[in-house]
Amino acid sequence: MVGPSGSGKSTLARALAGLVPRDVAGEWRGSLRVGDLDVSTAEPAEVAARVGILFQDPASQLVMDRAADDVAFGLENRAWTLEAMRTRVPAALGAVGLGGFGRRRGTRLSGGEQQRLALAGVEAPGPAVLVLDEPTSNLDPAGAAALFDRLARLRADRRTTIVLVEHRADLAWPLADLVLALDGAGVPIALETPARMVSRHGKRLAREGIWLPDDWSAEPAARAGQMPVSIGPVTVGPVATPARSHLVEVHHARFAYFRGAEPAVRDVDLGIRAGERVALVGPNGSGKSTLLRLIGGLLRPTAGSIVVSGADPRRLPAPLLSRLAGFVFQDPELGFLADTVAEEIGLGLDPARVTGAAGLLERLGMPLEQFGERSPYRLSGGEQRRLSVATALLRRPRVLLLDEPTFGQDRRGWEVLAAIVGELVEEGTAVVAATHDERFATRVARRRLEMADGWVIADDGPGAAAIAAEPVRVSSA
Amino acid sequence: MLTPIDLTDAQESSLLGRTSPIVKLGVAVAWLVGLALTLEPGPPLLLAGLAVAAGLTLGRVPPRNLARGLAPLVVAAASIAVANLLWSGANTDPSATELARIGPFRITREAAEAAAALAARVLAIVGVGAVFAQTTDPTRLVDALVHQARVPERFAYGALAAYQAVPRLAEDLATLRQARRIRGLRGWHPRLLVGLLVRAIRHADQLALAMDARAFGSGPRSTFRPIRWGWPDPIVGVGGLVALWLALVL
Repeated sequence: MVGPSGSGKSTLARALAGLVPRDVAGEWRGSLRVGDLDVSTAEPAEVAARVGILFQDPASQLVMDRAADDVAFGLENRAWTLEAMRTRVPAALGAVGLGGFGRRRGTRLSGGEQQRLALAGVEAPGPAVLVLDEPTSNLDPAGAAALFDRLARLRADRRTTIVLVEHRADLAWPLADLVLALDGAGVPIALETPARMVSRHGKRLAREGIWLPDDWSAEPAARAGQMPVSIGPVTVGPVATPARSHLVEVHHARFAYFRGAEPAVRDVDLGIRAGERVALVGPNGSGKSTLLRLIGGLLRPTAGSIVVSGADPRRLPAPLLSRLAGFVFQDPELGFLADTVAEEIGLGLDPARVTGAAGLLERLGMPLEQFGERSPYRLSGGEQRRLSVATALLRRPRVLLLDEPTFGQDRRGWEVLAAIVGELVEEGTAVVAATHDERFATRVARRRLEMADGWVIADDGPGAAAIAAEPVRVSSA
Repeated sequence: MLTPIDLTDAQESSLLGRTSPIVKLGVAVAWLVGLALTLEPGPPLLLAGLAVAAGLTLGRVPPRNLARGLAPLVVAAASIAVANLLWSGANTDPSATELARIGPFRITREAAEAAAALAARVLAIVGVGAVFAQTTDPTRLVDALVHQARVPERFAYGALAAYQAVPRLAEDLATLRQARRIRGLRGWHPRLLVGLLVRAIRHADQLALAMDARAFGSGPRSTFRPIRWGWPDPIVGVGGLVALWLALVL
């Protein structure tokens, strides 16, 4: 199931699992049948016996403390016998690649492992229909691949009907027998085989801002000029003439979240020039977010030092810091401070800049007349992220730090973000983006820093020679 | 304090580890109620010592883990005692016996006695609580509450799930503060609570959906971890009550 941001994919997925209209307030019309059961009116137990649903955020679907207990939770609710559970639980864990994880605590697993554990719990009772609502959007490429591995095997078994909501068209479409496309208003465009969907409706889908499989494989920079979405001039020129000195200097920085903990950043030494665009890549937990927060003066390094534009960002008073660095958090909701979009934009902002705000929001597809009075918490995920980008950009920071800026963005939102970041760089802002999105990294960045286990293990930037001269250190762990 | 404690196999198979959490809770409540009957500092100190000794021997709790769990609480108990010693109302009573005068503070015998009694009581609560936490797996506690104490399932398993979200909310609060700073505002502000509340509600909503979608509350449940009364239960129960009686009588 595909559609632009805010087209109602999640609502439809939840309705299939009988959660809408039962658990979600709103107005419901019509009926929805799974087999011979109208799931919109059926008893919860009847629906749950046929349909299982996996949500986007792995951590908020784990109920029990330990992995095996969590898988057993759904079986207990259906009153399975102890003997049956003792066979089924290890088998379900093994099927998602978590054999032997039974005693492990769910909260201590990685995001990818948590999502597979949640899948094991949903799969274990053997539902006839399995609904997955953007299950990989919080996962790194390895985590997403492991989840898709399992889906490919479920598909091969042909025992389960799978309904998958997913932006990653390259991974999802090859597994699909049929693709259902929704437009921005939630109206179905078509229900077709993937090949026919591309040939008959490809242009329409692209216009609606829906990703097609080829969007993920082709060389993004090469196609930049022929994007069907019109967003004004896209400036992907050469890197702005770099200043001689570094705007950001990180000297042997190390950071551990508490005393005695494994450091999240071990020994990072690098310089970033004004106008430089850097992609920070690496698996979940490799230290990308921590490094961004260190540069943004939000964390104090345990050892080493950070200098941004000649100052220690950690010691700067907040008003000065906010003009030096902008930050877009991985979870945009955590960055919101006001009750309405208009207040959010104006908060702590120089009044002279508020006029620029309207134009920026307009470009981001969120005109102030329409969105100004809405609560930031009530926006769709894609809109929330664009709003948080806007609040960071309006101060014209010297360095913009982005933590997974393209998560869950539809094609149109993605294009606008990429274009705006490109323009900023032209004006001399340095951009550092932690991202799992290879296309965004290729399109926007001119330098690639790869992290693993707290180290920077690869850097192809101009100052990289100094790092390359040292042997690459890999943790003994 | 916020993350679950990992019990060793020795802890889980120890006498206290195998005792039903309900019995341990019952003994703890009986002790605390019993201590309300006396104002002496002796009985609570005795019971605190007994709880720690039982935890180390009958519970096989590694001393380091117990010390680490107790240390911040003991510091808290000490500061409560000092605060009560210095700012007690009894200190301003001219008829009270003066023990010492430190700078602006007059310290009386009455204040010292009250502070000692309070500290002893806090230590008893802290000791019993730490030993309970160090010998009880959260899942086992919830199972026992549901199957042995007939606490409603929805409440008990909901609480277990919410407990796992606590560390996450602490991280969210840190990020909310950072978000204020990067936007040019000071770190602490009542507004932070709104953000945190939105997060907590959203998380709870999502969790409730996930639980419902997995057929929770749809009918009779079976259990993956059968829990039965065993011989450690009467021993610990009776032993605990005898200890309380001795502490109060001696």
